Amino acid sequence: MSKRSCLILAATLAASPAAAHVTLETKQAAVGSYYKAVFAVPHGCAGSPTVKLRVQIPEGVIAVKPMPKAGWTVDVLEGKYASEYDFHGSKLSSGVKEVTWSGGKLPDRYYDEFVMQTMLTDVLKPNTILYFPVVQECESGISRWIEIPAEGAAHSHESKSPAPGVKLMPKP
Amino acid sequence: MRLLAALTTLLLVAGFATGASAHAALISVTPASGSILASAPKALELRFNETVTPGAIRLIDGAGRARDDARVSASGEAISIAMPPDLPQGTAVVSYRVISQDGHPVAGSVIFSIGTPTATQPPASADAGLKVLIWLTRIGLYLGLFVGVGGALFVQWMARSLTGMVAPGVALAIGVPSAVISLGALGLDLLGLPLPAVATTAPWKVAFATSAGPAMLVAIAAMLFALMALRNAGYARSLAILAFIGVGLSLAMTGHAATAPPEMLMRPAIFLHGVGVAFWIGALAPLAALVSMSPDKALPIVNRFSRIAVPMVGLLALSGLALAIVQLEKPAALIETWYGLVLLAKLALVLLLVTLAALNRFCFTPALERGRAAALKRSIVFEGAIAVAIFALVAGWRFTPPPRTLVPETPLAIHIHTDKAMFQVLVSPGKAGIDDFVLQLMTGGGTLLEAKEVTLTLSLPERGIEPMEQGASLGPDHYWHVRKVELPFAGRWRVRIDALVTDFEKITLEDELELAPP
Repeated sequence: MSKRSCLILAATLAASPAAAHVTLETKQAAVGSYYKAVFAVPHGCAGSPTVKLRVQIPEGVIAVKPMPKAGWTVDVLEGKYASEYDFHGSKLSSGVKEVTWSGGKLPDRYYDEFVMQTMLTDVLKPNTILYFPVVQECESGISRWIEIPAEGAAHSHESKSPAPGVKLMPKP
Repeated sequence: MRLLAALTTLLLVAGFATGASAHAALISVTPASGSILASAPKALELRFNETVTPGAIRLIDGAGRARDDARVSASGEAISIAMPPDLPQGTAVVSYRVISQDGHPVAGSVIFSIGTPTATQPPASADAGLKVLIWLTRIGLYLGLFVGVGGALFVQWMARSLTGMVAPGVALAIGVPSAVISLGALGLDLLGLPLPAVATTAPWKVAFATSAGPAMLVAIAAMLFALMALRNAGYARSLAILAFIGVGLSLAMTGHAATAPPEMLMRPAIFLHGVGVAFWIGALAPLAALVSMSPDKALPIVNRFSRIAVPMVGLLALSGLALAIVQLEKPAALIETWYGLVLLAKLALVLLLVTLAALNRFCFTPALERGRAAALKRSIVFEGAIAVAIFALVAGWRFTPPPRTLVPETPLAIHIHTDKAMFQVLVSPGKAGIDDFVLQLMTGGGTLLEAKEVTLTLSLPERGIEPMEQGASLGPDHYWHVRKVELPFAGRWRVRIDALVTDFEKITLEDELELAPP
């Protein structure tokens, strides 16, 4: 590792003692199949408790059903897809675009998971990473896990708040 | 006597009628110089720190054509240049030449690009011939005012004999036409016209409207009075005094020193400095003539002169010090700016001059008492030569704005372009120290990019400076601003701009920025 990236890594580590991000629990999934997306939230925003989590559904992901969560209100925002998708013989041109859990309170010292069921359509490209941008809102402050590296590149060390992603595998 | 009183009043009124003023500095340009715009701006607005009069303002469009359809309107401190509606894509250059209150032109260029930048060049500035003319006439004017008027004063009040009138007479004969020509040359410079245009009325009108106009009138009047005093006309002694006051007034009416704030200090300081120089330098030629022609008659005059000259030199030094402090602002400017270098050279010559004066007083004047005049005469002539060299140097100040007014015009600009977006980053002054950032965000298609939040992150890896994040605020100009960013070192800074476009989408662009030393 170069001296410079060492410095940056050291700085990153120093800046956030718990250098964990909001991530997806299951790191791989095949296209053309259901995917249970489990968003792991390891901490609040700089110590402040999490009160809201918003997940943006990327294009090509349909049939989204969030799992209700005790103590939290779940809302979905529907909208038009960029294209039409086949779903059990019918055509879908609109559906869930964003899922929000709110009204709860997750203190910084606890860990929790937010779950939704999704369908990864086969128009998605295998061997790429599919990102679900997440906005974590806290009692004070906001963390945006929305950084998506340029196509082909992995998350660099400099990326402070990467969007959680899942590696797409070819259709089995 | 009544005539003289009326003339004195006139001189005083003319001297202090010019309002608050200074060497103008450009404060802001909208759109900022170096901007990249999606479409042609309706107008370009230049804002100065004081009221200015527009001189020549030229527009060269993105296709490299000089346009004459840009309308200029001025109101107080602002000059608005309405852009023609059909400006083509590319980089346009607006070169401006405005007249500040001190009568000097302030010139510069502003560039902006419509769509993508092209390589349009600002037009070449005024020709060297005109500058030489301005410089020469200024030396001529100083000769007339200091050697001529000062000489007349010496002849009438110190020597009370008509020996040594030749040099002041010649100096006045040079000074009067120099004053007239310098006004015409100023007009040409203000309008950016070539030499032959001096035959037209435009440059004269413009020059006359500046503070230099009345100042030159006073100078010419003073020199004419001095000529009359030399001719020993009626009221010769009063005329000489009046001319002497006119020298100080004329100098205090125009120029970047006279018009610098605080004027209550600067104008009197210039006045005293001016009359001090006239008293000292004006005496040299008649003294040298006296000493060589009738040494025995010269001695009491030399003694009388040096009694007054000593406090006069103190006055010169004090007023000069006050002027230098205000003009330079900080000692470093003494070696970092042309203005400062000219001042240093002048101080070196002045030191030589004072050394000679001291020699005259303590060595050569006692020698004169013993009947030896040659050394004193030689020394005085040498003093005169140094004085002329000082005039030549000081005349050069006309071309070097004092450090106080130096404002960078075109900030450091970097352009970061990806297919998603293009960001134009303007850094002013673009030097290590405290800088202001303007971030102009546009989509790849060249339209304004709406963002919810913009952050600027700067780091200097080579000096171990870790990323510093700063939030930008959206200004009324639709650009994002980060003010007063401390950038401690010069070098290759990494610049990263994060623009939050929606809650879930952020555009991040990175580039490097070469920051100059302060």
